[in-house]
Amino acid sequence: MTDATDPGRRHSAGHHGGDRPVDPVTGHETTGHDWGGITELNTAFPRIVIWALVLAFSYSVIAWILLPAWPLGHDYTRGLLGLDQSEEAVREYREMERARADWLAPFASAEFAALASDAPLMARAMPAAARLFADNCAACHQAKGTGGPGFPNLVDADWLWGGDPEEIAETLRVGVNSTHPDTRVSQMLAFGRDGILPAGDIELLVDHVLALSRGEDAADGPGAELFAENCAACHGEGGVGGLGIGAPALNDGDWLYGGSPGQIRTTLRQGRQGVMPSWEGRLSPSEINLLALYVERLGKGNRNEARE
Amino acid sequence: MTGTLSISERQVGLALAVALTLLGLVMAAAARQGPMAVHGAIAAALGLALVFRLGGALYDPEVPAGRRQRFYDAPTRFGIALTVIWAIIGMGVGVWVAALLYWPEATPPWPWTSFGRLRPVHTTGVIFGFGGNALIATSFHVLQRTARARLADSISPWAVLIGFNLFCIWAVTGYLMGSTQSKEYAEAEWYADLWLVVVWVTYFVLYMRTLARRAEPHIYVANWYYLAFILVVAMLHIVNNLALPVSLAGARSFPIWAGVQDAMVQWWYGHNAVAFFLTAGFLGMLYYFLPVRSGRPIWSYRLSIVSFWGIVFFYIWVGSHHLHYTALPYWVQTLGMTFSVMLLIPSWASAGNAIATLNGAWHKVRDDATLRFMFVAAVFYGLSTFEGSFLAIRPVNSLSHYTDWTVGHVHSGTLGWVAMIIFGAIYTLAPQLSGRETMAWPRAVEWHFWLAVTGALIYVVALWNAGITQGLMWRSYDDNGALSYSFLQSVMAMAPYYLMRTIGGALFLSGAILCALNTRATMRRATGAVRAWDRPLVPGPAE
Amino acid sequence: MLRLHYNLEKLSMGMVVGIIVAASIGGAVEIAPLFTIDETVVAPDDLRPHTPLELAGREIFIREGCYACHSQMVRSLADEIDRYGPYSLAGESAWDHPMLWGSKRTGPDLARIGGKYSDAWHVAHLLDPRSVVPASIMPAYPWLTRSLDTRVLPGALATLAVLGVPYSEAMIDRAETDALAQSRPDSDAAEDVLARYGDAVALRSFDGDPSRLTELDALVAYLQSIGTLTAAAQEELEEAGK
Ligand code: HEC
Ligand code: HEC
Ligand code: HEC
Ligand code: HEM
Ligand code: HEM
Ligand SMILES: [Ca+2]
Ligand SMILES: [Ca+2]
Ligand SMILES: [Cu+2]
Repeated sequence: MTDATDPGRRHSAGHHGGDRPVDPVTGHETTGHDWGGITELNTAFPRIVIWALVLAFSYSVIAWILLPAWPLGHDYTRGLLGLDQSEEAVREYREMERARADWLAPFASAEFAALASDAPLMARAMPAAARLFADNCAACHQAKGTGGPGFPNLVDADWLWGGDPEEIAETLRVGVNSTHPDTRVSQMLAFGRDGILPAGDIELLVDHVLALSRGEDAADGPGAELFAENCAACHGEGGVGGLGIGAPALNDGDWLYGGSPGQIRTTLRQGRQGVMPSWEGRLSPSEINLLALYVERLGKGNRNEARE
Repeated sequence: MTGTLSISERQVGLALAVALTLLGLVMAAAARQGPMAVHGAIAAALGLALVFRLGGALYDPEVPAGRRQRFYDAPTRFGIALTVIWAIIGMGVGVWVAALLYWPEATPPWPWTSFGRLRPVHTTGVIFGFGGNALIATSFHVLQRTARARLADSISPWAVLIGFNLFCIWAVTGYLMGSTQSKEYAEAEWYADLWLVVVWVTYFVLYMRTLARRAEPHIYVANWYYLAFILVVAMLHIVNNLALPVSLAGARSFPIWAGVQDAMVQWWYGHNAVAFFLTAGFLGMLYYFLPVRSGRPIWSYRLSIVSFWGIVFFYIWVGSHHLHYTALPYWVQTLGMTFSVMLLIPSWASAGNAIATLNGAWHKVRDDATLRFMFVAAVFYGLSTFEGSFLAIRPVNSLSHYTDWTVGHVHSGTLGWVAMIIFGAIYTLAPQLSGRETMAWPRAVEWHFWLAVTGALIYVVALWNAGITQGLMWRSYDDNGALSYSFLQSVMAMAPYYLMRTIGGALFLSGAILCALNTRATMRRATGAVRAWDRPLVPGPAE
Repeated sequence: MLRLHYNLEKLSMGMVVGIIVAASIGGAVEIAPLFTIDETVVAPDDLRPHTPLELAGREIFIREGCYACHSQMVRSLADEIDRYGPYSLAGESAWDHPMLWGSKRTGPDLARIGGKYSDAWHVAHLLDPRSVVPASIMPAYPWLTRSLDTRVLPGALATLAVLGVPYSEAMIDRAETDALAQSRPDSDAAEDVLARYGDAVALRSFDGDPSRLTELDALVAYLQSIGTLTAAAQEELEEAGK
């Protein structure tokens, strides 16, 4: 090779000794090529780059030796550490479970009264319950448990299925109208759509339910008889509710689906069958009990007020 | 455009335009409804417009003799115009989707305005529309100047640019209509994918034929990069987009890959779309415009060799760093991680080579906003590749993956590196192609520079904070071993960062709009003067 | 080496070949073994394919770009298992063309969403997310109440069958009726859906109106099916570390 532009040629001694132009700023020779005015310097390969490459390569080789790395047809190198990412993850996950065990495990017992009176235990457990509630329940029941159309308020004094922790836990475990085999079942019949009651009767009942909700004494009203015949079985005499079959009280101002005449009419015509998912399987038994106590406490303030 | 074509070239062009019209009509007729029919109609309309344009000019006077002694710059000018148009579309949509994340109620009730449909319009608009047109336009320029040869023919540059932009239009209008393959950065449906293959082959052939005419026996580094960009993108595009259409008369197709293999192929593609589209091509741009603007020789030829082959070889291994801790086997993740770390060396070697090239020209960097764009681009290139290699380390990725940190990293690369080098190239090219000394409004370049730097910094810093906050909130456990935050709390914590990002993006966009107007003003007032030395050494193609 | 390159860079085809070779190795080494190493994908015995209605919903999920904000890939990390449930297995998406693992979590992961909420909640949430989650930044999808176009389903199933998803002739032929029947639990054809796709399939009027088959029906059916096509992930987590 005697090409004048051969970069492999020895760098000529002195700045101006070579036959290739030298860059005055850096003192380095160019390669002698010219691409429409662009030239390049034949600056020697910086040492630091070689060292960096060696370093990065050593890091990689160590990683390849220790970790699963290279495929071999039907198998791959497992690495000296023998790591498996899901085993790792499960190990860490179980570690976290163990870290929680001392305060979470007691909740498996479902001795709610004893648990609730253990203040230090509750203080440790409630933040976890709040997070579980926010990630799983708040979508329907809202961040503070106040519910919304179709989703019950958990902080008022009304319960569809009972407000004891035992009952709440059972609701959480099996759900309502859910896919769980033991699900709680509830249904507000579609009196209009299914032709159980004529439209005129429904109008009378709408008025009657509205009257009940205002706390008026509507025992003699035109709808009263219809109500006693068709509705009281589920909603109780005078719509007091509380039968533990999911039918709400109608003699208060709180509504699940809304208290305007139109909304009540829709309820009576088309029926309702709210679905609360079952949490068994998704949440552990302890977590379910924990949440039951959390929910019970959520509305304590309101409920005490209501009782007074 | 027609003025630069000879009569026989116009005839060939006319034939191609007729063929495009027919293709569009066939597509529309076969599909009858849905996205493919609309796309057929778009192709037919474009074909028809070209038929009229070329047909109308068919018997205009023959091009003046001697054009072979000139470079063919008309396609470059056209490509630059398309670049700035797509910049405004793509970044405009970017700012809009950024705003939607802060203010979701602003979404109008029409399907095509929904975040999920607009997001790929943004990514495709900026990467392919803005980035792709810039790459194609500058590659024509760089290729001719460094080879000192005129483009090998006069039809295919137009075919490449028009065909490529038809692909971009098909892609983004498809997403608006809900037609997508869901593969990130490859969302366009099967017929658009096929079309792009045809365009790309044309591009490659043109590139090679022109390169073959070069006056200097050695191929300049910039061309190595452009070549890697063309070749590897073709390879990635074809493999990732292999799909079986439900019907030849409809848009819908299913990728042949499934599950974990699909994920690996997707991110082998996705990462190397970054590597060979957003990096290799733009390094080609940097390797040309930086020495030209600074008037300095490339600092080290030897370093260029190592960084080029390092980038080409290492990059292709690292796609699996997008799948850390997923159901992708651990061994692939280890390879992705280690190669990403090794990749840092050639990446920084390139950035270092660029910055060292400025030795002896720092006064120019201070005074010339155009050169400053390139300098900042090189710095951001170094920054984002460092960040990338860092994010590729598994434990780091366990925090950053799925968060806005990734988006912050993306935009330090795309705003800081890709967009800045494009602006630097445009500000160098536009005056030169218009026979002017400077841009029409030189002071606007300075304004643009500061808008761009401020916007990019606000964007990137906001999203670093956002992403790290998010990642920490998701994984933090309290003293009792329970997760501390709900997911929704992390969503709410993002609001201020999303607002800042929108503001940063708006600043960046206003700079881009300024650039578009300035470019228009510059190219409008072209003098037509050509610098005497700026001509091919090699005669042009046979007419 | 330097001299070798010095000569190579004078050959344009040499550069082309060099680039192709250098850029092929990594992909070949990482992708090809994913097909040859058996443990990469273990398709669970109980894995079922999507029903036509769920598949239609999946297409809507893709069309609307939900994957831009929602991943469907619980990573093997303790906190993700804690928050979302069992980490995802490769086998779970063995028949997913394309996979929808996602790359960004603007919203939560959806790999375990099936059964977490009620149909009514999904309907309310999709039509107006802020009506149920006031702080949500998810867009509303009011247009999903339009009728579902089922005509594309037989072709879609047939195409997937070619690609290896176990859709039988009967499943392909009856795709349209199955889609309708799944949303009409009281119809005669509903039983056939269970016969073809297994008893675990949800037969419900997902949008609450059995008289119309809407895009909501399809999307909600899909969301409720995510993570329920096989119990493998749950089982593996329960067994692991015991
Ligand atoms: C998909 C929506 C949804 C989710 C999520 C949900 N619920 Fe419910 N929940 C309901 C509905 C609807 C009802 C009322 C069911 C009925 O009509 O009887 C209900 C009822 C209840 C009840 C009974 C209320 C009463 O008055 O007796 C409790 C307690 C309860 N939910 C707690 C929870 C908790 C704790 C969680 C989280 C682990 C949760 N819910 C998640 C929808 C939901
Ligand atoms: C088979 C039992 C049953 C019968 C009979 C019944 N209901 Fe109900 N009703 C329910 C249940 C259960 C609910 C709650 C539905 C839910 O949670 O989705 C309910 C809900 C309601 C509501 C909605 C309350 C709210 O807060 O929005 C009204 C109003 C109502 N019933 C009125 C009536 C009237 C009037 C009748 C008689 C015509 C009647 N119900 C008969 C079970 C019954
Ligand atoms: C702009 C981002 C965005 C898009 C696009 C988006 N979502 Fe969401 N999604 C969210 C956010 C944020 C949340 C959390 C707040 C909430 O529950 O609304 C969420 C929550 C959800 C949830 C509840 C998850 C849980 O576990 O609580 C479901 C289901 C869901 N989205 C489905 C979808 C579907 C289906 C689509 C497309 C039709 C979609 N999302 C599009 C951002 C988005
Ligand atoms: C005006 C400036 C810009 C703004 C405001 C902007 C905004 C956005 C937003 C809001 C997203 C979606 C992030 C999410 O889903 O959370 C996004 C994604 C993206 N943008 Fe931009 N963008 C801008 C410019 C650019 C440019 C110039 C490029 C490329 C050249 C680019 C490339 C991308 C890419 C690749 C993604 C996808 C990131 C991912 O999937 O992780 N953007 N951008
Ligand atoms: C050494 C170089 C680089 C490495 C090793 C690297 C590495 C990474 C990593 C680890 C991620 C995150 C993947 C995840 O967790 O989901 C990522 C995302 C991304 N990077 Fe880089 N990066 C590099 C340079 C760049 C540059 C220069 C750009 C832009 C010009 C860029 C654009 C992107 C984009 C667009 C994504 C988002 C992909 C997606 O999720 O949609 N990267 N990169
Ligand atoms: Ca595609
Ligand atoms: Ca992404
Ligand atoms: Cu990457």
